[in-house]
Amino acid sequence: MSERSIADIYFSVLGLITTAFGIADILVTAGGGSFAFGILEVPGDLFRGGWGGFIVLSAGLFYLSGIRNIEDIHPFSKIVMGSILIWIIAGCDIFAMITESIPGGENGPWFNTFDGFIGTYAPPYAPAVLLLPFSLVVVYYIYKKKQDNMSENWE
Amino acid sequence: MKLTVDQRWDLIDKIAKQTVTFGEYKHTLKDAIGELTVKPLTGIPIAIAVMYAFWSVFGSFAGTLFTDGFMVKLFDGRFLPWIQDIFPGAGGWLYYIIVGNPLADNSFEAFGMLTSGLFVAIGIVLPAIFIFYLMLALLEDIGYMPRLAVLIDTVLHRIGLHGYAIVPTILSLGCNVPGVAATRILETRKQRFIMMTLLAIFIPCGAQIGIMEKVIPDTMGWVLLYLIGGYFLFGYILNKIIPGRSPEFLIDVPPYRKPMISNLRKKVWVRIAGFFKVALPFVLLGCGIVNVLYLTGFIDWIGNVLSPVFVSWFGVPEATVGPLIAAFLRKDLAVAQLSVIEMTPYQMITSVVLVSIYFPCVATFAMMIKEGAKELLGALAVLFAVVFLYGGLIHLIGILLGVA
Repeated sequence: MSERSIADIYFSVLGLITTAFGIADILVTAGGGSFAFGILEVPGDLFRGGWGGFIVLSAGLFYLSGIRNIEDIHPFSKIVMGSILIWIIAGCDIFAMITESIPGGENGPWFNTFDGFIGTYAPPYAPAVLLLPFSLVVVYYIYKKKQDNMSENWE
Repeated sequence: MKLTVDQRWDLIDKIAKQTVTFGEYKHTLKDAIGELTVKPLTGIPIAIAVMYAFWSVFGSFAGTLFTDGFMVKLFDGRFLPWIQDIFPGAGGWLYYIIVGNPLADNSFEAFGMLTSGLFVAIGIVLPAIFIFYLMLALLEDIGYMPRLAVLIDTVLHRIGLHGYAIVPTILSLGCNVPGVAATRILETRKQRFIMMTLLAIFIPCGAQIGIMEKVIPDTMGWVLLYLIGGYFLFGYILNKIIPGRSPEFLIDVPPYRKPMISNLRKKVWVRIAGFFKVALPFVLLGCGIVNVLYLTGFIDWIGNVLSPVFVSWFGVPEATVGPLIAAFLRKDLAVAQLSVIEMTPYQMITSVVLVSIYFPCVATFAMMIKEGAKELLGALAVLFAVVFLYGGLIHLIGILLGVA
């Protein structure tokens, strides 16, 4: 199987899963509650679930619209943008965890205890955080494209 | 030395050979991403994501980490008991102005110059505007702001502005003072007037947003929704009734670039220093003047005079009149005062929207005077009409929904 078809399949599957997560985010928010299953937690608040869910859904649609001709720079940029949107949402979630893990709480000491600090990073995680490692694969393709362009220019 | 025409062309050829590269230009990934961010179909979701990141980081950094994590502890746990203890004359008028309520157990409810005033300025506003201006500088230096201006140009033309009006609008979300100054980037008097009026009425500053996030997190979304709705609704009306031109704009969209830390540092520092020079004295002074007005009974008196309008037309409780009057001096403190009054969620939304739209804070007011007395008077006339109409409209919506 060629590398191109591997990329096509990979980003198609990632696009479908991302789209499904985005729809789940929006539906759970519309339902007015949150949903947890194993290490996954779909937030139900309007900001993370609704607004964030729309962005995850957009990321999925970016992936799906970019897979038709991944060799071309324009469709490929859509795949990169899909990943960037996931990085934005997951980055915000991780940043929120970091800011929550440092202070010691309302009635506690100034700084959190070590256990409390580590405990903040424990699962469950929002869909974007779970998608984050899979979205990073695009970095490999960016690097590869750069190498290909350099060798093209060399020739 | 004088060159002939041929010699000049030869020189041009030589320079061009050394400096210009000829060949077929291939789009890079940066170019393609740049295009995605200005096309409406792809650019709007990206803009929504950027705004999400903006507010998420703003809330986490300013709210969770600094204000709730450390500043509340510092001010409520250490500073407030200390100053209540050492300041002489508890219960006297000077104590009331400087320290506030001697029985208050948190800086929010003390309402003294050195308690609520300092807490708002240092504990809430400083982290809020620091992260706000850092994010804004980052978006500017990456090259995203011109793209956002292009993207939103069509929408802003409907209200007589153009894409660059997004700059004063976003700046005002930090502090209205630099926002009003930034209206100078708009070309015509009509555009500057519309922009200044909309900023003064519908754009809450970072201090107010910070307080809203802390005291009314559940209803804040609705407040912002009403303000955004009002921004476009009254912008559209102003565009129709104000004579003058609203020209197109031409913009050179730069490529995306890696931001330089030294530039970011300078921008953030200049903006924060500007805020502290212009707006901070008003925070402390405003706090003191509000206390004097309460002490002299002026706010109670004007509250009694205006209460029929507030209660029957706007549908808010009589107790909100005092904070709404005091909001001229400090809108953020007025929101904090409203938060301790007992009312329904809809009344809370209405009263916070009224605080936002009813008058610019005194620092913005001072800045507007600088921009021209005629513009200021015009903006104030529009403002009174808007408050009356929009406040009544929000009440009417509440009645129709059965929540007012």
